[in-house]
Amino acid sequence: MAEFHLEMKVNGKPIVLDVDPGLRLLDVLRDILHLTGTKEGCGEGECGACSVILNGKLVDSCLVLAPQANGQEVITIEGIAQNGELDSLQKAFLEAGAVQCGYCTPGMILAAKVLLDHNSTPSRLEISKSISGNICRCTGYTKIIQAVEIAASRIATKEGADHA
Amino acid sequence: MLDCKLYFQPESLTVALDLLAKAEKRLLPLAGGTDIVPAMSKNKLNVAGLVDLSKIQELHQIKIEGNEISLGSLCTFQEIETSHLIRTKVPLLADAAGLVGSPQIRNAGTVGGNIANASPAADTVTALIALDADVRLRSTAYARTMSLKELLCGAGKTRILPQEIITEITFKILQPGSKGGFIKLGRRKALAIARMNMALIFSVTEGRINFARVGLGAVGPNPCRSNALENTLIGQEPSDSLVEDFVMEAEREVARMLGSRPSAAYKCEAVKGIARDILSSLFSSSEMVVE
Repeated sequence: MAEFHLEMKVNGKPIVLDVDPGLRLLDVLRDILHLTGTKEGCGEGECGACSVILNGKLVDSCLVLAPQANGQEVITIEGIAQNGELDSLQKAFLEAGAVQCGYCTPGMILAAKVLLDHNSTPSRLEISKSISGNICRCTGYTKIIQAVEIAASRIATKEGADHA
Repeated sequence: MLDCKLYFQPESLTVALDLLAKAEKRLLPLAGGTDIVPAMSKNKLNVAGLVDLSKIQELHQIKIEGNEISLGSLCTFQEIETSHLIRTKVPLLADAAGLVGSPQIRNAGTVGGNIANASPAADTVTALIALDADVRLRSTAYARTMSLKELLCGAGKTRILPQEIITEITFKILQPGSKGGFIKLGRRKALAIARMNMALIFSVTEGRINFARVGLGAVGPNPCRSNALENTLIGQEPSDSLVEDFVMEAEREVARMLGSRPSAAYKCEAVKGIARDILSSLFSSSEMVVE
């Protein structure tokens, strides 16, 4: 078996690995890099529990072979807190009670993060659309959408203050 | 872990084609991976290895050349959905791309992969069939063009040869002022594989429809044009009664196509809903007009 020489950036850190090319990005993140915040749900791209940000775009890491991430930048849930402080989305999820069993939460937060990175004043419909590839079996989504709204309003307030 | 013994990641099309031409065992081109990776997980794909096309920049372009639009085979659904060129010149294709899978699938899945996978329910394929698209294939020795209709030859089957790669999908730009739409019926909004989909393009001159194309997906083994539905529209004035004629013909067409299959009863009824929705909304709305 020829190993694949994989170079990528994960949460800002350069990673160099020789891996079996049959590993999925999800397997490398969880089993080799021990970033177990990324969850495996269905393993076929239906549930979004394994979502990560690959070069700025949300993907299901169970549908990406590790070599496909070669030369790319990966962000997982472990990579969004800054200097020990939770991201505004993480804080908002806690505040709103948007976490129940928690299995979908990493994927949900990353999906919402991609949205808020491009659009800090999303409508409720835009929020729903952004998390439409992520299944939650506990919350009924209401609290999740509220959490994203809270985070968005904080970001907007902060941006306003920065501009003032 | 998936069983993948050989994995190549060429940076040019020439190298990729060379790998396919010289392969002793079957290598499969890999685009976004959203169909291939789960198929490999379930041991449903029997290949010696993969040729990952994702680093080949020339396969990622969307461009207009003369009276044709060309989509690089590696364009993702998200790139097609958000392309200004596609949104203004072929809004129905942007809509079809925007209804594929989920945001995650649209960020990874590609139009070339959608064609090569040849699913009966492929959303962009139904739109491209209505656009009468051609598929350009390359090998080390030659380039050839085949109509998309001819290339698809059954569920999961195509006439692409093992040494060939889809490089581009091309179609003629539509007449400015024509209208086009795409509609999909799924079990839920996001992620559903289409239970049925329909793409429709028409133009009106002096009050009458002079041009119409209808693509139907998930009714036969591959999405296909429906001449019967097109003929219902051509020569007629847009009206509520024409919508009802179209709806009745859609039911008859699906009955003809499905015969006595178990899904026929449901689909004959369901197609009436999508046929009515798409045609009446295109008649009444000022959107979805080709610029």
